[in-house]
Amino acid sequence: MNASGMKLSLGAYTALFLVFLYGPLVVLAILSFQTGPEGGPQFPIIEWSTYWYKHLFGLTPPSRIAPLPIEQALVRSLGLAVMTMIVSTVLGVTAAQAFRRKFRGSGVVFYLIVLGMMVPGVLVGLGMALVAKTLGIDRHWWSTAFVLHVVYTFPFAFLVMLAIFNRFDPSMEEASWSLGVTPARTFRKVTFPLIFPGVLSAMLFAFTLSYDEFSRTLFASGRDLTLPLAIYGTFSVEVHPNVFAFGVLTTLFSFALLGTYAALMMLSVRRAKRIAIQEEA
Amino acid sequence: MIFDLELNNVGKVYDNGTPAVIDFNLSVSKGEFIAFLGPSGCGKTTTLRMIAGFESISSGEMLIKGKRMNDIRPEHRPTSMIFQSYALFPHMTVRRNVGYGLDVKGMAKAERDAKVDRILATLGLEDIAEKKPDRLSGGQRQRIALARGLVVEPDILLLDEPLGALDANLRKAIQNELKLLQKTLGVTFVFVTHAQSEALALSDRIVVMNQGKVEQISPPHQLYTRPNTAFVAQFIGNNTIFQGEVDGASDDRMLVSTPLGQLSGRPNGTLSARSRVNVVIPAEAIEVHPAARVSREQIAHTVGGNVVGASVRRFDVVGHVSHLTAALADGRTVSLEAHVDKYQPDAFPVGADILLSWQPGEATVIPA
Repeated sequence: MNASGMKLSLGAYTALFLVFLYGPLVVLAILSFQTGPEGGPQFPIIEWSTYWYKHLFGLTPPSRIAPLPIEQALVRSLGLAVMTMIVSTVLGVTAAQAFRRKFRGSGVVFYLIVLGMMVPGVLVGLGMALVAKTLGIDRHWWSTAFVLHVVYTFPFAFLVMLAIFNRFDPSMEEASWSLGVTPARTFRKVTFPLIFPGVLSAMLFAFTLSYDEFSRTLFASGRDLTLPLAIYGTFSVEVHPNVFAFGVLTTLFSFALLGTYAALMMLSVRRAKRIAIQEEA
Repeated sequence: MIFDLELNNVGKVYDNGTPAVIDFNLSVSKGEFIAFLGPSGCGKTTTLRMIAGFESISSGEMLIKGKRMNDIRPEHRPTSMIFQSYALFPHMTVRRNVGYGLDVKGMAKAERDAKVDRILATLGLEDIAEKKPDRLSGGQRQRIALARGLVVEPDILLLDEPLGALDANLRKAIQNELKLLQKTLGVTFVFVTHAQSEALALSDRIVVMNQGKVEQISPPHQLYTRPNTAFVAQFIGNNTIFQGEVDGASDDRMLVSTPLGQLSGRPNGTLSARSRVNVVIPAEAIEVHPAARVSREQIAHTVGGNVVGASVRRFDVVGHVSHLTAALADGRTVSLEAHVDKYQPDAFPVGADILLSWQPGEATVIPA
């Protein structure tokens, strides 16, 4: 095959890939603008409207379709994701730091940590439920489910940080020590600023994984539902385009999160420069 | 007398049991420039890192200004290390990099700034003080690393192959600067290198290491003219080594019988009769004579019998320097060079028989 033909087929392949990736999302977005309350979650679009978005926020006149019971679930999911993100990132950074030196049993500990993201979520969730029942502990999203979220997301944060430390030049820290700076201060002034982009990635992983975690949460979270559980719960009754409207908003939220991540990344790169300018003034 | 640095029987054994450094003994006076020279893996960098505190000392004792340092953490040692990679902090400007070590010293800002300014000026870095290191050239980064290491006023500056990453011309220039800087500041320098030209040009004394052991500690000139061991003779300079057996001694000469005849030289070390020895002859000491013009007998008595036959293998002239490769009877070759006026091309056609001679005082006899 000649070069231009190769280029063309690779381009077509990429386009197809993108269609599969974003196609469902686009369909969802289109259907979210179906008219309501009589319009259903299928084509054709009877009439374009923002009815289901208004319905989501309770701005429509009462109808037979109940509002999505997601308000509290959303708050719970966000809270859980933030808690998980903080704990997993701290654990990931410190564990990866520990793994920079070989220690006895480091191989075993490594696989034990990584196991947390490998084991099937349903089984772990079920196991946690059984353990909680046996020990007489109440299941809550902020206790049993939270522990499982950390067990699940910590390995991701750990692996990200391991890769970051792998590329980190340890003589940078040695240089700092040899200039009379303690290891603790060296970590703050040299190590952390240099691994910060990695820390952001670890945070992003932990947050997003926790935010839409389903199988572990299903058995371990007890009575109060998280967002993925609440949405799943509405499917079992009847699907209306209000779920799609919510999906669009959630996706926008994810994009906003990614945007924040990108902005923070850029900021961390420029920060040192700004500090230098401030000191100059 | 209190030395700046003392290593007494210092040894390093890695966790897996391999010895990296064995029985290292060295005393360094204030203001000395010491080079650790040896092939890679000889333990020179490990020794430097033990001095800095990055590697633990397995046995023996290390003292700086008379104080035992074995269990002192790196940040509490009066040493400062310059790395081959420079290890500059990429998120800080040149000025912040250089001032970094002073931030924790509890120094008034004005005093700190003055010190930083002074060292930046000394190393010619004022113009790039607000730049980030990753935008700068190798030579500039090298100087920043030096400024950062020196501004904290260490008793001993440790340098780990600091010129290794520079190109040849720049290396030469920085070499001279480094030597001048060291003499001006009077700081003790311990320098690790695998390039003998660097060690010979810079240091007051050279520690030659091989396989974790110190082979010889000598001033450069002595290392060159009076090697202690066969390793040093092979590693330093361009020496030809003949193996033989001690025949006897006369005056301060040692007579050695070799496959190429009886040779003589100055003994170095204790040599008993009939013991196996090496005769080391530096290339610079060798005179070349066309066999067609002079006979062995004519020159033998002027050089204490140190004449061996050879033939011209190659002869090239590069600019004003003639390069002559001579093949000995046993098949080994000796590379020689001299001004083109001395080795004239028409006197040494390839294949011609020649005689190599040297003065007994220039040859060293060492134990095999």
